[in-house]
Amino acid sequence: MKKIILIGLFLYTFLLNAANGVQLEGGFKVGPAIILISILVLFVLVGVFNQAKDTSDYYAAGRSISRVGSGMAIASNWMSAASFLGMAALMYGSGYHGLAYVVGWTGGYVLLLILMAGQIRKYGKYTAPDFIGDRYYSTGLRAVSAIVAILISISYCVGQFGGIGLMFKWVLGLDYYWSVIIGGTVVLAYTMISGMLGVTKNMQIQYVIIIVSFLIPLFMMTFKFDYFWLLPQIGYGAAVSDIVNGIPAPEISNLLNAFGHDFAILPSPEYAMPWDASTGQTFFQWMAIVFSLMLGTAGLPHVIQRFYVVPRARDARWSVVWGLFFISILYWSAPVFSALGKILSANPEIGQLAPDAIVIYTAQIANLNPLIVGFLAAGAISAAFSTVSGLLVAGASAFSHDLYFKVLNPDSTPKKQMFMARMATILMTIIVMAIAMLKLALIAQLVALAFSLAAVTIFPLFLLGIWWSGSNKKGAIAGLTVGLTVAGISLVYFLSAKYGWALPGQEFFTFWLGAWYFAWIGAPLAILTNIVVSLFTEETPYEIRKFLVEKVHT
Amino acid sequence: MEEQKDYRISFFRPTTPFSRTNRNLVIILVLIWAICVFGFQILLRVMEKPTPEKALITFEKVWGNVKDGSAVESEKIEFANSVLMVLGKSTLAAKPEKRAVLDNALSWVVYDLMSGDSLRSTFITEIENFEKQKANENLDLKDVNYLNAKTSIINRVAPLLGIETYSLKAKLLPHELKSDGLVEFKAENKEKIHSVMSLYLTHNQSVLTDTVFLGFPFHYFYTAVFLLILFVVLCWVYSFKIDRLHTKSGHFNKPSESN
Repeated sequence: MKKIILIGLFLYTFLLNAANGVQLEGGFKVGPAIILISILVLFVLVGVFNQAKDTSDYYAAGRSISRVGSGMAIASNWMSAASFLGMAALMYGSGYHGLAYVVGWTGGYVLLLILMAGQIRKYGKYTAPDFIGDRYYSTGLRAVSAIVAILISISYCVGQFGGIGLMFKWVLGLDYYWSVIIGGTVVLAYTMISGMLGVTKNMQIQYVIIIVSFLIPLFMMTFKFDYFWLLPQIGYGAAVSDIVNGIPAPEISNLLNAFGHDFAILPSPEYAMPWDASTGQTFFQWMAIVFSLMLGTAGLPHVIQRFYVVPRARDARWSVVWGLFFISILYWSAPVFSALGKILSANPEIGQLAPDAIVIYTAQIANLNPLIVGFLAAGAISAAFSTVSGLLVAGASAFSHDLYFKVLNPDSTPKKQMFMARMATILMTIIVMAIAMLKLALIAQLVALAFSLAAVTIFPLFLLGIWWSGSNKKGAIAGLTVGLTVAGISLVYFLSAKYGWALPGQEFFTFWLGAWYFAWIGAPLAILTNIVVSLFTEETPYEIRKFLVEKVHT
Repeated sequence: MEEQKDYRISFFRPTTPFSRTNRNLVIILVLIWAICVFGFQILLRVMEKPTPEKALITFEKVWGNVKDGSAVESEKIEFANSVLMVLGKSTLAAKPEKRAVLDNALSWVVYDLMSGDSLRSTFITEIENFEKQKANENLDLKDVNYLNAKTSIINRVAPLLGIETYSLKAKLLPHELKSDGLVEFKAENKEKIHSVMSLYLTHNQSVLTDTVFLGFPFHYFYTAVFLLILFVVLCWVYSFKIDRLHTKSGHFNKPSESN
């Protein structure tokens, strides 16, 4: 017993000292590294004990997950580096503009629920391309939508890898590029092991770890800086007002940050006032981002795929309710980090911090225990890992199941399909790592791009496919073409702006077809095109219409 | 026989009582959702008025005289204080060209307020010394030389501008005073300063942003907290209503129910 206590004391002191200091970056942090490794091992072990037994188990968890459990899985799948790190980053840098992401990434669930969740479950497929190929009776559309699903996964993953790179950089003390390579390799290994195991069960545990690691610092910081700490999600309102009106530095310091600076800030109304000119963001952009993110939410393949894992359509609906509630806990909390981070970094000696790491920096500057900060960083990595593994599985299954098995080689054996899925996972990881190293934008913005892409491609096909039997193959092809064209134009102008090439109408297209919100026009155009072309071409086959009426809308 | 059945569905043309109720429910919920999300932001936009911060009003009051060189000491002090209010905004960090304009204005006016050549020359030495300390890549914020250099600037300039040495504005001084902007307020910076000050000190405000609710500015609470509650409630209402609809029609009692 004595030995155990001694070892415990030694470990505690070691871990405490190992991660001490107020350097925001610094070298290798033993404590956070141990926490991170422990959490990853836990995930793998949970996966091992909940191993998938067959295809249905692998893709759809045997359709035996409870509503609350499925809600947690939806939340875990959803809460990525963009939610954990990116939202606070946007609010820290652009104030009220960042709230567009909070609203967009939650409000879309209302659409998803009332327009799709139950019907998707009743349709009874495994993947989004499966549904599209079947509903629009087209192998070509199945193939294209599989490619689109892979592109969405890649784009979504780039933001996640950015977050993983930042957090590995923080834990390991290496430069960003090496951190992306190491983090990417670890996430690949993790997905290859756990992707085959009990993914859904794992997601429930991941949710608990992510949310606990996110909430503990909030309670501690609001308590420490004298805000209403029992409910920090409301208590930080006073901090927002303090930022607007300013907090004068006291003559005798009492509240100090880790650098010994006063808890003070000059009046900064631009943090809270809507579409403040100094942030460079406009009213139109706010609305367009909200709209695009909402439609994108209802069109993301890896989100839609979650509805196949519940036993009945009724459970699909309630799992959205639970999922949204669990997600909202994090989304109510993220602005607290940015508000406190804003005040804590107001001293000129700290200055503007790297926005994407503001969640971690805020906890550090607030002088929280290094192990708490380490746990927070591990939570951020867990958030990215849970989403990335889901995305890589979705992307790999789009390739091996929808593209390779259903289109290219229908006679392939399950073993061959699994091999192709693994190859696709490795290839996707390499592509994503390479793009993540380019640091094209903030994490949340890169993820928003995936949402816009989903909103102009998958969302119209699902919306019309479910609710209007008149939507046919030709309409779907035309709508998808329009959606992809808008996305293509937006991406070309985004890249040209990024690398300083001046294309005709550069300013116009960069503003009105921004890469994070081109769906504001792309999605309505894709829907309209689908409707018009469908009206003027031959009707949807009888069997499909019958299936929709009898199975999906009964 | 079966071919005669009209297997066509459309959201807007429901064929069964259940579909009709579902459609009506969806329309009501989507309307609430759209009005609450987009309607409120439109209202915010309609009601807002560009509102200047106090510092901008002060700046505009003294800028004319400062610009043509006829400002008295108190006006120069007010000018410096209003510039400091913008330099304290962290959003400015991402715009070095705008910061340079304000740094030049502050440095020039502080230098101008110094009386006597010897004082000015000591001041220049202090600024240069601090810049040298700050340029050190391995700077330790607790280094005695760094702290002394910082404190001596604060102690010299803060009283001159009528601010307390412990205030945040005073702490900005060592970082914003630049040796290359002391002697002259460059013409191009003079041209730009008004637009920079207006940009950072004017905000879209209305009764919705100025009302405080649970500690928040009301619009911020509405968007960051209330809307999320509303989304959860809307989802709950829909699931509950659909369940009740199914229960009423006896659908859940069927052995093969899939709803």
